[in-house]
Amino acid sequence: MLPTDISQELDYDICIVGAGIAGMESALNLGDMGYRVLLVEKEASIGGKMILLSKVFPTLDCASCISTPKMASAAHHPNVTIMVYSEIDEIERKENGTFGVQMHQKPTYVDPNACIGCGQCETACTVAIPDEFNFNLDARRVAHIPFPQAVPKKAILQRNGQSPCNHTCPAGVKPHGYTSLVRAGLHDAAFELHLETTPLIGSLSRACYAPCEKECTRGEFEGSVQIRAIKRFIADRYYELNSEPNYGPVKERKDKRIAIVGAGPAGLNAAFQLARKGYDVTIFEAEEKAGGTMQYGIPDVRLPKDVLERDIKNVTALGVSIRTNTKVESLEKLKQDGFDAVFLGLGCSRTRSKREESADGTTSVKTKAPGRVRSPNTTPFADEIKLAANGVIEINKTLQTSLPYVFAGGDAVTGPLTITAAIGQGNQAAYFIEQFLQGHPLNAADLKELECTDKLAVIAREARLSTRKPTKLLKRENVSKEEGRKAAKLPLTEEEARYSANRCLDCGNCSECHQCVSVCPSNAIDFSMQPIHHQIKVGSVIIATGFELFDAHRKPTFGFGKYPNVVTAMQMDRLLSPTRPFNSVLRPSDGKEPDNIAFVLCVGSRDSQVDHRLCSRVCCMYTAKQAQLIMGSLPLADVTIYYIDIRAFGKGYDEFYEQAKGMGVDFVHGKVADITESSEDEGNLVVRFENLTEGKIEKREHDLVVLSVGLLPNTSAQGMFRGTSIEADNFRYIKEMDEDMEPGVTSIDGVFVAGAANAARDIPDTILHSGAAAVQAAAYIENLKGLVC
Amino acid sequence: MTPLQRDLTEIMRDEMIMRDEITKLLTSEPHTVPEIAEALKVPTTEALLWLTAMRRYGLVEEVGRADANGYFKYTLVKEEN
Ligand SMILES: Cc1cc2nc3c(=O)[nH]c(=O)nc-3n(C[C@H](O)[C@H](O)[C@H](O)COP(=O)(O)OP(=O)(O)OC[C@H]3O[C@@H](n4cnc5c(N)ncnc54)[C@H](O)[C@@H]3O)c2cc1C
Ligand code: SF4
Ligand code: SF4
Repeated sequence: MLPTDISQELDYDICIVGAGIAGMESALNLGDMGYRVLLVEKEASIGGKMILLSKVFPTLDCASCISTPKMASAAHHPNVTIMVYSEIDEIERKENGTFGVQMHQKPTYVDPNACIGCGQCETACTVAIPDEFNFNLDARRVAHIPFPQAVPKKAILQRNGQSPCNHTCPAGVKPHGYTSLVRAGLHDAAFELHLETTPLIGSLSRACYAPCEKECTRGEFEGSVQIRAIKRFIADRYYELNSEPNYGPVKERKDKRIAIVGAGPAGLNAAFQLARKGYDVTIFEAEEKAGGTMQYGIPDVRLPKDVLERDIKNVTALGVSIRTNTKVESLEKLKQDGFDAVFLGLGCSRTRSKREESADGTTSVKTKAPGRVRSPNTTPFADEIKLAANGVIEINKTLQTSLPYVFAGGDAVTGPLTITAAIGQGNQAAYFIEQFLQGHPLNAADLKELECTDKLAVIAREARLSTRKPTKLLKRENVSKEEGRKAAKLPLTEEEARYSANRCLDCGNCSECHQCVSVCPSNAIDFSMQPIHHQIKVGSVIIATGFELFDAHRKPTFGFGKYPNVVTAMQMDRLLSPTRPFNSVLRPSDGKEPDNIAFVLCVGSRDSQVDHRLCSRVCCMYTAKQAQLIMGSLPLADVTIYYIDIRAFGKGYDEFYEQAKGMGVDFVHGKVADITESSEDEGNLVVRFENLTEGKIEKREHDLVVLSVGLLPNTSAQGMFRGTSIEADNFRYIKEMDEDMEPGVTSIDGVFVAGAANAARDIPDTILHSGAAAVQAAAYIENLKGLVC
Repeated sequence: MTPLQRDLTEIMRDEMIMRDEITKLLTSEPHTVPEIAEALKVPTTEALLWLTAMRRYGLVEEVGRADANGYFKYTLVKEEN
């Protein structure tokens, strides 16, 4: 066999980690030289911090006017492949000098090929959370496009696991979804969402044992969200307004017939789901009335039969016919009668006694007392399908029996179940019957849901939660003892329902309310998306992971997080940008245009108290920039900058600083000790500082204070390499082995560093450095080319 | 009483309820943030956060320039027919 050039074996020549200005610049340089580049970015858009800035010093060019064309060129370059919302799992250096990269793309739950970036999902979404791209100055939605100039401009859904309530429900109902819809006042949509899972909404609202409430995270505070009471509000309100369903049989029919044996919760549900798909469905019920346990096992006072009848109308409206008083004795006969598939939702035979209801009034139909054990109604089919010794039907994981066209669920399979679990089985059976009828393979893993949200993390996130007691459910007058405690409860009013829904903590962020699904014009929302894992061979790696911002909470005496009018410089850049969160530069405490603004330099830089002795190199200049921009947009405002010394080292930087002074910015040579709130003027802040020129302590009042926070190393790349770690310098930045002579060269041969991942840098320096790293990587690849496998 | 009493996440969750209250208020006439806060008996910081989200999603807009005290008035965006 002829030896092959190593580079022929590679998927890409170079993998660049991080798509800020550094990563993009290196990628474009290398792409232009003809190398194939993979650019991996952890966020959903490329652009890094620069695209979020207002203007750039010292030219005062608009940041997005410079960044956006770079982002577009990177996205459209024929030699550059971009993977956003992606993370590196591990990078391994091979003996031959190439690299194996293991990485994954996180699911966005939106098909990027279908999404047209219209943002309608975002407008419709019912869950509000802080917008990290505006540095928490305003709220965005769980469904969102990262920011207006995002590349790619595609929506993503932020799912932080599945909320515990949704994860727990055996029926597959989405309590978080309808709770967030009720909170938003979308009560019809809440009913419709529930209807996606089951037609038995009224019945469940009375008879479900509410496992969701037991798992609800709010239960760790003052009491669970009253999910079942909210459901009852939804059902009662809807039925009051709509005595009949507002739909008929679906128009697109499928030419297959399905027999459902048993009109209990499992059977009704399976029938409902299959009829919604356009199948011709007939239910056979031995009893006089449909409903099974719900009809015969639960007293009227707990589950009024008119509510059950209305629930059943949700099924029959689809054209499902229910033949009561009809006992099915032979599966073969059903086949002969032209049914293509059968679902056995037989339930158990029961003694109709008053005592059937459990003492606590809940609806578990499990019977514990001796003499009340229920047995499955499976005897007629003993010759046709396999039964277990206790008489229950044997099924596989897809609910299929020993006869392939017969599926079974509910009590007849498991022994006595709850209504809620039976509904879940009806839904699953409907799914697998459809797969069977369409000739698809049956795969139990299809119905796998996202893992559950970490409840402890939610509890930690909500540490300062204010107290909101559960609504006291009012009692009906004159309720007899026999009617029981639960029967005595009155439903929630609309106001109570919304208050109760608003106690929800939005545990997993996305509530699965499906509003995005309803409005998306291109059907792009896809809840079944999974992470995509890749193993990629590359010749070289460039780390361009940029910097982290100093967390201003670490200087508690400056009041960040406590006083809304203490903001960071990154927030100020957002306030000044054309895509800013407010309609002007406003102070967060009350929306006032500030007229006396102070900047505090060196917050988190040159400060051994926070273990960061380095100068961040850009803060003096970005502060001089922001001061000038403020004076441009608020001409009457006074601007003060508290500084220890000004570092204006680059070309034109000193002139830029002088320009700010010339515009009237008051540079005060002072070291700020603390910031407190004024006792006189609400929202105003008192800055106490040591006047370094005069050597005395002074105080000044301002109506907005900006903390010029420093740049810190991003250490995320340091654990990426298998069997070795990339060396860091004394300040935890990725180390250049010879920063004078070999820019970008790290401790791992073939791995290079670009931009602020290596040191605090402004944009011009970052661009230069990224060019150098690109050339180093190109030289490395050229050397590899000489080698053979 | 400006210090933030509640976490942002909790305040932002309330938007889904409070936007109906703010809509009702703005139906009569445009209001500033302090006016909204006073009418609804809520902190001004929180009123601003809800109003800002309503503006972002096209429900309200500012009217003209800030008044002498630096406050803008906000009004409901007229629905297009
Ligand atoms: C408030 C402020 C104002 C500024 N104003 C100016 C100015 O006016 N002019 C100027 O010249 N400079 C300014 N700067 C400096 C400027 O922001 C930096 O020079 C520039 O952002 C550095 O670019 P970068 O690509 O190296 O890093 P970043 O912008 O931090 O980009 C790094 C990218 O890597 C991604 N990433 C990080 N970790 C990973 C990972 N593990 N896997 C995949 N992707 C990852 C990040 O999401 C990001 O997209 C300012 C800085 C601040 C804080
Ligand atoms: S399902 Fe609901 S909460 Fe989740 S992203 Fe869609 S609209 Fe938002
Ligand atoms: S707090 Fe909300 S999302 Fe979390 S478990 Fe309770 S109802 Fe579900």
